[in-house]
Amino acid sequence: MAATRSSEFGDLVQIKKQLISITAQCKERGLVHSVKWASELAFSLDPLPLNEIPPAPELTEEDARDLDALCLAKSYFDLKEYDRAAYFLRGCRSQKAYFLYMYSRYLSGEKKKDDETVDSLGPLEKGQVRNEALRELRVELSKKHSAGELDGFALYLYGVVLRKLDLLKEAVEIFVAATHALPLHWGSWLELCNLITNIEMLKSLSLPECWVRDFFMAHMFTELQMIKEALQKYQSLMEAGFAKSTYIISQIAVAYHNIRDIDQALYLFNELREQDPFRIENMDTFSNLLYVRSMKPELSYLAHNLVEIDKYRVETCCVIGNYYSLRSQHEKAALYFQRALKLNPRCLGAWTLMGHEYMEMKNTSAAIQAYRHAIEVNKRDYRAWYGLGQTYEILKMPFYSLYYYRKAHQLRPNDSRMLVALGECYEKLSQQVEAKKCYWRAYSVGDVERMALLKLAKLHEQLNEFDDAAQCYIIYIQDIFSCGEQLEHAEVSTALRYLGQYYFKNKLYDEASLCAQRCCDYNDVSSSSAAHSQLRDANLSPFGKMLILSPKQVM
Amino acid sequence: MMTNGVVHANIFGIKDWVTPYKIAVLALLHEMSTTKPMALLDRRRLNKLILPLQQGPDLTLEQFLKIVEECCLRMVNAVKHRYASSLNKELFFKKNFILKTPEPLITFSLFLGLFMRQMLLAYNKLSFSQVYKLYKSLQQYCHRVQPELSALPTEDMELTSNEDPSAESDESQGPLSQKQAEYFLARQAYLLKNDENKAMSPAKLQDELNNILKFNPDFAEAHYLSYLNSIRVQDIYISTHSLLHYFDRLILSGGEGKSNGDEGYGRSLRYAVLNLATLHCRFGHYQQADLALQEAIRIAQEANDHVCLQHCLSWLYTLEQMKGSDSVVLTEDSVKIAAHFCLPYLASLGIQSLVQQGAKQGMPANKLLDALRGTDIMHWKQSLSELIEISLAQTTSIWRMYGKSTMARQQAQLLLNMNSLEPVNFSVQQNNTEAFAVALCHLAELHAEQGLYAVVSDIMKHLKQQFPPHTQHAKLWMLCDLKIQFEKAMNDGKYHLAEPHVTAISALNSTEGLYRKAQLLKALNQTTEASQILQQLQQQCEKSKDIEMTIRVMLASAELHWDSSGFATALPLLLQALALSRQHNLQSLTSETLLHLAFTQLMLGIPEQALVLVQDVLESVLAHGSLIDKGRALLLAARCQMALAGAAAQEHRLTALEQAVHTLDEAAVYFSQLDCKERMRDIHYLQARLHHTLGNISQRNKCSMLFRLLDQELPSSGMTVVSHL
Repeated sequence: MAATRSSEFGDLVQIKKQLISITAQCKERGLVHSVKWASELAFSLDPLPLNEIPPAPELTEEDARDLDALCLAKSYFDLKEYDRAAYFLRGCRSQKAYFLYMYSRYLSGEKKKDDETVDSLGPLEKGQVRNEALRELRVELSKKHSAGELDGFALYLYGVVLRKLDLLKEAVEIFVAATHALPLHWGSWLELCNLITNIEMLKSLSLPECWVRDFFMAHMFTELQMIKEALQKYQSLMEAGFAKSTYIISQIAVAYHNIRDIDQALYLFNELREQDPFRIENMDTFSNLLYVRSMKPELSYLAHNLVEIDKYRVETCCVIGNYYSLRSQHEKAALYFQRALKLNPRCLGAWTLMGHEYMEMKNTSAAIQAYRHAIEVNKRDYRAWYGLGQTYEILKMPFYSLYYYRKAHQLRPNDSRMLVALGECYEKLSQQVEAKKCYWRAYSVGDVERMALLKLAKLHEQLNEFDDAAQCYIIYIQDIFSCGEQLEHAEVSTALRYLGQYYFKNKLYDEASLCAQRCCDYNDVSSSSAAHSQLRDANLSPFGKMLILSPKQVM
Repeated sequence: MMTNGVVHANIFGIKDWVTPYKIAVLALLHEMSTTKPMALLDRRRLNKLILPLQQGPDLTLEQFLKIVEECCLRMVNAVKHRYASSLNKELFFKKNFILKTPEPLITFSLFLGLFMRQMLLAYNKLSFSQVYKLYKSLQQYCHRVQPELSALPTEDMELTSNEDPSAESDESQGPLSQKQAEYFLARQAYLLKNDENKAMSPAKLQDELNNILKFNPDFAEAHYLSYLNSIRVQDIYISTHSLLHYFDRLILSGGEGKSNGDEGYGRSLRYAVLNLATLHCRFGHYQQADLALQEAIRIAQEANDHVCLQHCLSWLYTLEQMKGSDSVVLTEDSVKIAAHFCLPYLASLGIQSLVQQGAKQGMPANKLLDALRGTDIMHWKQSLSELIEISLAQTTSIWRMYGKSTMARQQAQLLLNMNSLEPVNFSVQQNNTEAFAVALCHLAELHAEQGLYAVVSDIMKHLKQQFPPHTQHAKLWMLCDLKIQFEKAMNDGKYHLAEPHVTAISALNSTEGLYRKAQLLKALNQTTEASQILQQLQQQCEKSKDIEMTIRVMLASAELHWDSSGFATALPLLLQALALSRQHNLQSLTSETLLHLAFTQLMLGIPEQALVLVQDVLESVLAHGSLIDKGRALLLAARCQMALAGAAAQEHRLTALEQAVHTLDEAAVYFSQLDCKERMRDIHYLQARLHHTLGNISQRNKCSMLFRLLDQELPSSGMTVVSHL
């Protein structure tokens, strides 16, 4: 594998040439996003000497005939006059013109659809508004497809049409065909990425052997939450010579964000901003990280910066929302998240974040609505389920919230936070057995907040299971000290005090005294006074006890 | 529009809007009001047509015209013409003339007038591009079916032919407007409640609901119907999901309706938890239900919501009852508080529950019936038809328990023949409540007792149809059916047939199953096993305070004692049973116990006493008892008479014997009705002996021949004629 990759990536010059040519091709066809991706990648590679720059492709007879119409149409196309562009292209024969013809018809339909959504006849009809051009496009494209006349770009368009018509299975086939026909076109890969839902499906596809495939796989792993694999892939890509690519850096940063490696992610985002200071993409993720770390000045700087660049972007609104939220101005935060939703109603993160804001504002009903919307957009959004659970818990309905936490847990079986929340609910319902199970499981899957063991210990304490409680406290203390960093809510003193008492009761006076001494290091007044007295007891009693015991020992 | 900070999907608050189909309906209305001379019958048919047309989902023009054609042929062309003329562009844009029909025939303030006004309003609200869109869709609507209406080069016709069928079917199922969706939901919910068989099949209904939700995810009521629908098919997963989703949605809209937003919001929270509790109750998750209920109670207490608390309390005692623990105190409390807060429904529901428990625990009959009558008066005053039904079914059950079959039959018939007080919607009368099922089951059992098995099978057929096996109350008739079949098999002496029924009964009701098993084992002469089971049952019944079953178990144990000739040991048991049954007014069981006692006395050699006892109960047995009881009582009387005759003087002896023959004849009538061959054999044997003593040789020969025939047919049972009742 390594050998093949090095041979694949060995020729960076070749790759650069390919990128340059695909950029030109995409540009001619108005595929702006693919152009952006390819040129970003090309930019990260070393520039080519003059003699290496690939020449423009040869024009065919047909191309020459259509040249003027194409020029005219392209200019209309760029001015977003799609119908006009399509009209002038209708008689053209060349592949390029045909693609542009179909593509402008498609875009015209999309544009009309968007316009119509605003003044549809009624609210229920809103779901009904659709791109009327899709059907015709599909019929024509399928005819051409069965005749085998579609090139890579047209296949891509056919796939998009199918996807929009919800014919997902067919769409996957077509996109795979498109990647085979034109592996360098990133758009096809990206569309494919959105259609693949699990790893089995990914494995079952036969994809072309090309260096773009590695980018695709890495992207796919990130989407499927297989972060370790994704990072590995990206790492090898960087080693192969794409180290300067902002695309890869941002992807890695997002991946780190997903596994909550905040420091790494922050570092990468900062680097990204240095290299590409006017970038807006992914900045909402960056702001989330800053928010989690409560880095107010950085977040405010970011927000100012983004507003200057473009204030009408979803990402900008999210960043500002986060900024206000961090400053506890929740009304304003909610307002900005609403604005983000107006800009893009399918923006999932904003719904959830808005729910969080309403929670902060104690507007539970609005929070529930927001979370429900988030779930509607994406059923697998575990944060929204968790948020709903929290809302109901705040409303003092622990039984009710169980259902939501369970849902969240189902989606993230290895996330300790859901398990701890479940455990707390069970505890409130006096279902100690279930609560214990939850806490223990939370500890086993790697407790993020390091609260599970403490709670478990306290539960054991309540149930008079002293040995188990002591055991839990011991592991807890070990855990806290081994992780090194100081946690705010750490209750080491409680644990130590309990252990001290426990040892004292079991007549292990040395251990008891040790625990009590350690306990005194913490300046928690109530506990320290108790510890002091205990320490005194521990120091004194051995002798006293021994005196009493001695006759027996003699015997 | 924003409420509580959240964007609403229904921006204009329009519930209905103009569609091509609506315009077609308007055209029809217009024609109807303008065409003066019309046959009365046609007009009536059309009038009947309008409501479903207006409330139903959008149809294609073809379907619409076909429906109109079926009613009134003449109308079709007029409507078609008018409709086509609405296509005329100029007219359309000036102002669609169809939309204004201020005819005297249609009053603006009434239903149709309102509809027309709504349409006019919706039309006036449209912007230019929307009107244009409406016009386009109108054109399409016409051309899809009738290209001859206008000669447009049908480019898109080609396309549709090329389309895949999935897209086509999608097309025919257009979106419902909010009005239409509401109507649809109301109808289906009503049908689900009142006559499930007439509602859509669960799968289809779910499809419809999904369709509605696809176009309007904010339509919370659809989630509730989906909850009801998935309960129908016992799908806990979807039903929980839908229920929670509904309440999540409701929380916002609930706040709107009330003047005090916060209050409405908290209220729906409480009822959400309560509903969750009922859901778990329904699926038999008692622990979960208990937790949910506690939560509901806690929040209701915090909010000082007495009504909700009251509902919680009534659920609490129901839950306790379901779990099998004593809940009289809770129920009494519930009734008192409900009465205090003026919640008649809950109060009388509580009283009914109390009556049920009281009946089981042997409260005096007059008190129980008085309580029921008292609540009945209130039910009739307030037209609580559901409770009236329950009350009637309960009275049936109580009479049945007391062994008054005539009264029970009468009450059951009363319920079945009663016209519901509720308004009859969608031509469906409510008759699928538990009360109906209970009454029908009682009727079936009563008929089975009289040996009318053809009627029983008819009733069962009806029950099966009315309460399909997957529904909530199906278990009632299943158990009843099994019991009847078991009894029949036992009477016929076909024990191998009875055996599978025992297993089936135990699945539905474990106590009843055990009892039946003991009976079967006893009949098969496996006394040791039978007595073990009976002992086990005895303990169970003492724990659950099931008096009826206790007495039955005692009687069965006494019968076991007879088998081992321990007649004297059976006596205390029987006396205990007698005391219990008298105390609880269980007349049929009392007479049964007395018969048992009489038989024991006969066996112990005191036929005089036995005969007195039998004659005492004979009247009530003949009046209320089942056929087999009647036969058994007469047979016993005859045997007592025979025993007495043996001791009497010569001249009295003959008359006494003749009397015994006569009694046996009567008994034979009952047994032959039941086709109970074993008993018939016994009777023939006894009659032959009697005739022999009396010297009626021909009669004797006849009887002995009959006996011989039956004896050959039946497997020889170990028991002699003497050792059982």
